[in-house]
Amino acid sequence: MELSDRELVQKCQTGEMSAFEELVSRYHQKVYMVILGLLRNREDALEVAQETFFRAYRKINSFQGGSSFYTWIYRIAVNLAIDAQRRQKRNPLDFRESMDGLLESQDEVARDPFADVHDKELRQNLTNAINDLTPEHKAVIVLRTIEGLSYKDIGEILGCSEGTVMSRLHYARKKLQDKLSAFL
Amino acid sequence: MKLPKNLRRRVLLFSLLSFIVAAGRGAAQKQPQIVQVKIGTILASNKNDEFDAKLKGLENQLRVLKYRSYRLLKDESQNVPWQGSKVFEIPGGRSLMVALQEFQDNRIGLKVRLTEGQKPLLDTTVRIANRGNFILGGPPHEGGVLVLSISAVAQ
Amino acid sequence: MKDCENISESMGRWLDGELSPAESESIRAHVAQCAACREAQRKLEKLQLALEGALMAESKSIEFEPFWRAVQLRIAEKRTWYEDALDWSRGLFTASRAAWAIPALIALLLAVASLESYFPGWRGGAGRNAFAAVDSIDAHGRNVALLREYDSKTTVIWLYEDQEGENETAEEPPPPGPAF
Repeated sequence: MELSDRELVQKCQTGEMSAFEELVSRYHQKVYMVILGLLRNREDALEVAQETFFRAYRKINSFQGGSSFYTWIYRIAVNLAIDAQRRQKRNPLDFRESMDGLLESQDEVARDPFADVHDKELRQNLTNAINDLTPEHKAVIVLRTIEGLSYKDIGEILGCSEGTVMSRLHYARKKLQDKLSAFL
Repeated sequence: MKLPKNLRRRVLLFSLLSFIVAAGRGAAQKQPQIVQVKIGTILASNKNDEFDAKLKGLENQLRVLKYRSYRLLKDESQNVPWQGSKVFEIPGGRSLMVALQEFQDNRIGLKVRLTEGQKPLLDTTVRIANRGNFILGGPPHEGGVLVLSISAVAQ
Repeated sequence: MKDCENISESMGRWLDGELSPAESESIRAHVAQCAACREAQRKLEKLQLALEGALMAESKSIEFEPFWRAVQLRIAEKRTWYEDALDWSRGLFTASRAAWAIPALIALLLAVASLESYFPGWRGGAGRNAFAAVDSIDAHGRNVALLREYDSKTTVIWLYEDQEGENETAEEPPPPGPAF
């Protein structure tokens, strides 16, 4: 029977490395995507994602279970990504590089559950539109898209209220829709 | 937010100290006119257990790569003027272009391009400590791989 | 009944399942008989699908095994006391503490950095051996790995071929993943 995140965390706290491995296996792709949504390129995102799990491992004993594991791990990821962004400040935040690669990789997906995404013009303009969002707006869009997190969870991760999440999400979607109106 | 009086004093004192130190630092930091860039080209392979004595200073770093044998093929230094660039010939028809980008906090910013003929293999931007180095490796060569140690010294 | 403008404001929350059952039902009923709002719903859903498609496709490219190995490597790697102190210091920056902590930290960091300017080499070998910071890598479509080793303060940028290619000749070294 598959163990819950909470049970795995408890096992980690008693020193079971295999439990931590299972948690990494469950969340590494999503954590990477959240970070890639915030950073400029894949290498940086991968580096920060690995550091996220390293930090989580180091702090696992202080995890009290007041929030869910995924909220906790995403919070670490977002904070590290924001730190990394600050280090990149000499190069303005640019989503284009990661999105270009990302859109290329979509072409390689043989079974395509999202036929609409293959609208080339929509894809190209999606890149530009996301690139124009502020990091705060990117963060809510990515967290909502990757895991379908609730506004409450997103608020906990980003350290803001549900109302702020709601208004950021509304604004970000409106902005994307305005830019992509010709392709939607 | 209103801070208590002693806290405000402390903040003021620290801010003042920060400015004094920052001003002193600005005056002390000099931009180098020339940076000596040194490229050590090494052949790493698993053919035997030979470790070239000329590579003694790099031994700890090279051991990270877990090859059995390391041989220095070429050692070349060039003086690169500030914001200029130089090209180093690398065995196997490859070349390495190194351009200076910045000098800050005793770190030297380098833009490095490795090409094979006309074909670019790698572009990277790296900041290394003055007199520090980094390793660039991987291109296959004579049954092993090339490993480049790229270091820089501000003159 | 809410008018179309209000529906448009709540459309995202409705599709996200963030409305109460009563509010959801009210919107669903309106959308069922309003062509303009159905069109707005379709556009929002299409945008969401485009985003999901783009983000999810990329996440598949991250394989577990190499990722886990890299995390294990970090766990096994010893960190210096000041790296630990930096991690710990993040907790200091709560609003009330930041009032004194920020200027104090700035002063301290500037003072430490200044020592190198005033007295080059005061740290002995430490400055010379500091890690190189890699700001960008473009391998023009080839495989590339960035590796760091703590003890020797080594930063390595490694270009490599696919593993299948490496196995073709016995003379070739092992792929860079296990080699590190």
